[in-house]
Amino acid sequence: MTKQYAYIFDATRCIDCRACMIACSVENNVEMGESYIWLAGAGVMGEYPNLKRASMPYHCMHCIEPDCASACPVGAWNKREDGPVVYEADKCIGCRYCMNACPFQVPNFDWNKGVFEGAFIRKCTMCTQRLEVGQVPACVHTCPTDALKFGERADLIAEAHARIDANPERYINHVYGEFENGGTSYLILSHVPFSELGLPEMPETPVLEVSEAVMEGTIPFALAWGTVLTGVAIGVNQMNKKKEAAAPVAAEKETEAKS
Amino acid sequence: MKLRINFHPALRWPPIVWVLLTLMAIGFTVAMVRFALGIGPISNLNNAYGWGFWISFDLFTGVAISSGGFIMAGLVYILQIKELKPLLRPSVLTAFIGYLMVAIALLVDLGHPERIWYMLIYWNHTSVLLEIGICVMSYLTVLAIEFAPVVFEGMKWEKPAHFVHKFIMPFVIFGVVLSTLHQSSLGSLLLIQMTKLHPLWWTPILPVMFFTSALSIGLSMIIFESSLSSRYFKRGLEIHLLEKLARAIPYTAGTYLVLKLADLAFAGELGLLFTSGTMSLLFWAEILLGCIAPIVLFSMQKVRQSPNGLLAGAIITLLGMILNRFNVSWFGIARLNDPGYAPSLVEMSISVAIFSAGILAFGLAAKYLPLFDAEEHTHNAVSAPATGD
Ligand code: SF4
Ligand code: SF4
Ligand code: SF4
Repeated sequence: MTKQYAYIFDATRCIDCRACMIACSVENNVEMGESYIWLAGAGVMGEYPNLKRASMPYHCMHCIEPDCASACPVGAWNKREDGPVVYEADKCIGCRYCMNACPFQVPNFDWNKGVFEGAFIRKCTMCTQRLEVGQVPACVHTCPTDALKFGERADLIAEAHARIDANPERYINHVYGEFENGGTSYLILSHVPFSELGLPEMPETPVLEVSEAVMEGTIPFALAWGTVLTGVAIGVNQMNKKKEAAAPVAAEKETEAKS
Repeated sequence: MKLRINFHPALRWPPIVWVLLTLMAIGFTVAMVRFALGIGPISNLNNAYGWGFWISFDLFTGVAISSGGFIMAGLVYILQIKELKPLLRPSVLTAFIGYLMVAIALLVDLGHPERIWYMLIYWNHTSVLLEIGICVMSYLTVLAIEFAPVVFEGMKWEKPAHFVHKFIMPFVIFGVVLSTLHQSSLGSLLLIQMTKLHPLWWTPILPVMFFTSALSIGLSMIIFESSLSSRYFKRGLEIHLLEKLARAIPYTAGTYLVLKLADLAFAGELGLLFTSGTMSLLFWAEILLGCIAPIVLFSMQKVRQSPNGLLAGAIITLLGMILNRFNVSWFGIARLNDPGYAPSLVEMSISVAIFSAGILAFGLAAKYLPLFDAEEHTHNAVSAPATGD
């Protein structure tokens, strides 16, 4: 089995320096304002001297059951076996259904590009180009406090629980992403409620389940419905023919009655 | 010397045509800017609102108000309710124009309009949007076939008209299946937004809700459009036929209402009806206008038999059910960090232009094609044996 990579982000270690965002924009050659990650979280909270900081570089969660991939009509999204959810710009028609489908509101769109330049979806790639040569993603590589770490998902989950167990008063006893939306490849440890980091409350069953179940029923339903309609059409036709055959008799009777 | 002014024939077009053409020109210009510079400069859409006014109005509303076509085709061809025939052609035409409008609007909205045909070659079978795309493309073809006899008749090509008519049944059935699928699938489109769409609207039976409301919308739309075109073209209104359609609306609206309340009760979420602030208000507005009002109004014979009553009832139903489409595809969806969104006038001008083009196309067809005289034909047919006697 191939390794399934993941990140772990530890909010207690993040100092809000934003070096990860700069690293991302350099690595992927996009403008600073358009880096694939952004800073989420409530910032500095509380009253002096009891201050708390809550910030997080918001990445694509690289869901194990990615809703973006389920939704895209042309299949431009793909969950790779080794972890990243990748986007194939050459297929994308720009419908932006993936943006609507993603429960974490991750994919962004090139709003200021016309049809000649080509407007595409932008999203964290897990730096697949770096994975290929055995390097960790640029953001992880840059992080000065090791708030971001990269590795095999199973190992990171074990490490997350170990960190919580070692310092139970420091953390909320939950690894966000272990089960959320069926599990994600971006795991989060935090000392503040996860909503303070801008994360949604998610069920453990993947969001895409209901819609995929309905889609599976579509073709059988279409065939059954088509058959029913054909049956009805033929039945009604037969009935009307019978009625028409009987009609002249009735009409005659009527005229008889009138005369 | 006498001054003689000869107006160019174009200047003698009714003013409404000029208004429509102006609106179309504005929208066309904006669309060109959009293709050159991107969607950002002409709209307020943003990363939290990837879908906005265009999708709610052009796609969700556009498809819903075109549902009259398949309803009438089903009633006239499959159930063979022949007396409704005079309403068939205008409804099929409305549907055809409606779907063309949807397609044109999507070409403006898509990031890569030139790739729309990729939907035909790259199939992601889990995607609801793919299903809708394929259904809409196929249904446009079916509608073209269903409407072809009218065009042929208009051009006095009796033979091809007759030919198409002979083989119409399989297409009608296919069309009804396609419509059932994509009308309900527009609801399925939102299933994947389980965590974002407000629980007043999100339910696994969204597709059923969408189909049921599409029936109310379609029936109201036929009443609405017949009323308006009879006023504008000064032809008789088929009140006795519209009355029949109006009689069905309390049932479709009632089904919707019962399903909705039962679903909320089943999910144990009836409390949301009163506790969700703006969302509760939007929900009530939708239910009052789109369900309760039509049930009350169209149950009254007096309303069903007066032209104004029919028109007013239809407009109220449409407002309510269209609000539903806006609620589920826009207002009811929670955003994680919400920068806010209100459509800009420039953005809406594109939808306005497409709508104007639709009205103009309908008007031209009504003027030059045998759209409404089917009723005279049937009248003649009915009265023929009598004169023969
Ligand atoms: S993994 Fe790479 S693409 Fe993703 S946020 Fe980090 S630097 Fe950017
Ligand atoms: S977070 Fe969103 S974009 Fe990223 S994999 Fe999950 S669904 Fe797709
Ligand atoms: S915008 Fe592109 S990637 Fe996103 S769903 Fe549409 S086609 Fe797929």
